[in-house]
Amino acid sequence: MFAMIELELRRLKHDRTEIYTRAIQPILWLAVYGTVMSHVKAIPTDGIPYLDYITPGVLLQSTIFVSVFYGLTIVWERETGILKKLLVAPASRYATVIGRSVASGVRAIFQVLIIIPVALLIGVDFIFNPLYFLTAILIIFLVSGGFAAISILIASLMKTRERFMGIGQAIIMPLFFVSNSLYPIKLMPTVLQYFAYFNPLTYAVDAVRGLLISGDIRNLLPDIAAIVIFDVAMFAVASISFSKIIE
Amino acid sequence: MTIAIEVNGLVKVYSGKVRALDGVNLKVKAGDVFALLGPNGSGKTTLMRILTTQFKPTSGEASIFGLDVIRRDAEVRKVISYVPQEMSVWTDISGYENLLIYAKIYGLPSTGRTKVIREALEGMGLDSVADNLVKTYSGGMIRRLEMACAMLIRPRILFLDEPTLGLDPTARKVVWEKLVSFKKEFDTTVFFNTHYMDEADIYSDEIAIIDRGRMVKFGTADELKHSIKKEVIQFILTNHIVAENVLKMIRSMDFVSYVIISNSELNVVVKDAETALPVVMEILRNEGVSVKKISMTRPTLDDVFLKYAGAISLQGGGIREIKQIRSMSGKGYI
Repeated sequence: MFAMIELELRRLKHDRTEIYTRAIQPILWLAVYGTVMSHVKAIPTDGIPYLDYITPGVLLQSTIFVSVFYGLTIVWERETGILKKLLVAPASRYATVIGRSVASGVRAIFQVLIIIPVALLIGVDFIFNPLYFLTAILIIFLVSGGFAAISILIASLMKTRERFMGIGQAIIMPLFFVSNSLYPIKLMPTVLQYFAYFNPLTYAVDAVRGLLISGDIRNLLPDIAAIVIFDVAMFAVASISFSKIIE
Repeated sequence: MTIAIEVNGLVKVYSGKVRALDGVNLKVKAGDVFALLGPNGSGKTTLMRILTTQFKPTSGEASIFGLDVIRRDAEVRKVISYVPQEMSVWTDISGYENLLIYAKIYGLPSTGRTKVIREALEGMGLDSVADNLVKTYSGGMIRRLEMACAMLIRPRILFLDEPTLGLDPTARKVVWEKLVSFKKEFDTTVFFNTHYMDEADIYSDEIAIIDRGRMVKFGTADELKHSIKKEVIQFILTNHIVAENVLKMIRSMDFVSYVIISNSELNVVVKDAETALPVVMEILRNEGVSVKKISMTRPTLDDVFLKYAGAISLQGGGIREIKQIRSMSGKGYI
């Protein structure tokens, strides 16, 4: 399992371009969309500046982006022989699935480490509490792991890269919009609100916003509980679907 | 004699209709190099993937050193190594790092791990390029790196799926030389699929031919060649004219299939050229036919292959196989 994390780190060591290019989109959200919309002041954010309000959402969106496309790696490894070789390795297949997901969490963390300094530059006001910060990182890590598991599930259904690209996009953007990332859920039509409550991103954004921006962590425990339930469910499904990828 | 692989009545049906394996029986002795030959789509890869516990057969049994591949798959995976047909290393890290990651995935103890990796690299002649990115490797080097990965756990059986597909002759030779020396050192059983008849001929102890999901022939390279029963003895004669009764005498021998004469060339098709030659020679000498030159043509494995599995190979291997070969060429394999 740790071997997979090490693999990711070693890959990143040799080629860091991906981290930088992947940071462009979230930085655009913050620097362009966020800055412009903060002048509109039409969205009730409980007194938090709008730019600060959307930072956690953008942060999470960009990290789950990394995770969801991690399945692409699995598809690629299926086309090459790596996946086959991993299956024949004297290690548990579940450990392989979990190791893969966790490794993608590591990649996601690097994403965070790039976006936060940029957000600071633009003028986002973070709470400087190391404990809060670490908890936020942990939550991001957990959520990315869950989404990586979803992506393994998708990979088992979509066996080609092209299909995967399409479905990956079709998942991330709706999740991003139907959550409290850009605006409070209260503003949505009732039907969408229901969806938002089933969206794990909502809970993650809520927790990270509390920890990094507003300091309001009353909902932290239920948020974490929701994320853990989501993770466990996704890991279980991904482990089962993994055997499908093979054939 | 220990049996390394035993397969009984193995059937694999894909999505309810394609019968990839149709009752395969097979026995491989421990310590042998075993070649499985078959046209595209004959079930070679399917058989190997079942033996390496990647998926389950529809029915039938298979075991590796007495361990059932379905019920005791975790134990099987501890004694086997497998090199898939497609590339199975990460190209964006170095060769050494690939081995390190695989060593960790395989759960090699950390003490002595570096030594095992170094030995594997040396064994495959890759020590000088160990720290270069795999991207910069040639097809043959990548193959050798994959072999090095497979050897990390000192497997009792090494499964190789088309080990030299798309390599140039020199690279193929190097891969096999390294493989043979590894096999000698650790007494590993080697089971490989191939399209290259010459490889099966030179390097294997035993050969099986699979066609349409069934084993059609089994034996050593020599046994297989003899089984064709068509060897040609060619006599170049000093004189153009051979009396009809001489030909009749040769034709009447029970081991002679047929005789063709054209100009000064006399071709005698027999079951076994080595034993037939002295007899035919005797007849020619007694009848005063002088011979300038003799040559024997024995069937090659290609002839064997064409005889037992020829029909289907004409239909081609389908787009999947072509795509695979092409995609490998893109990755520097060919």
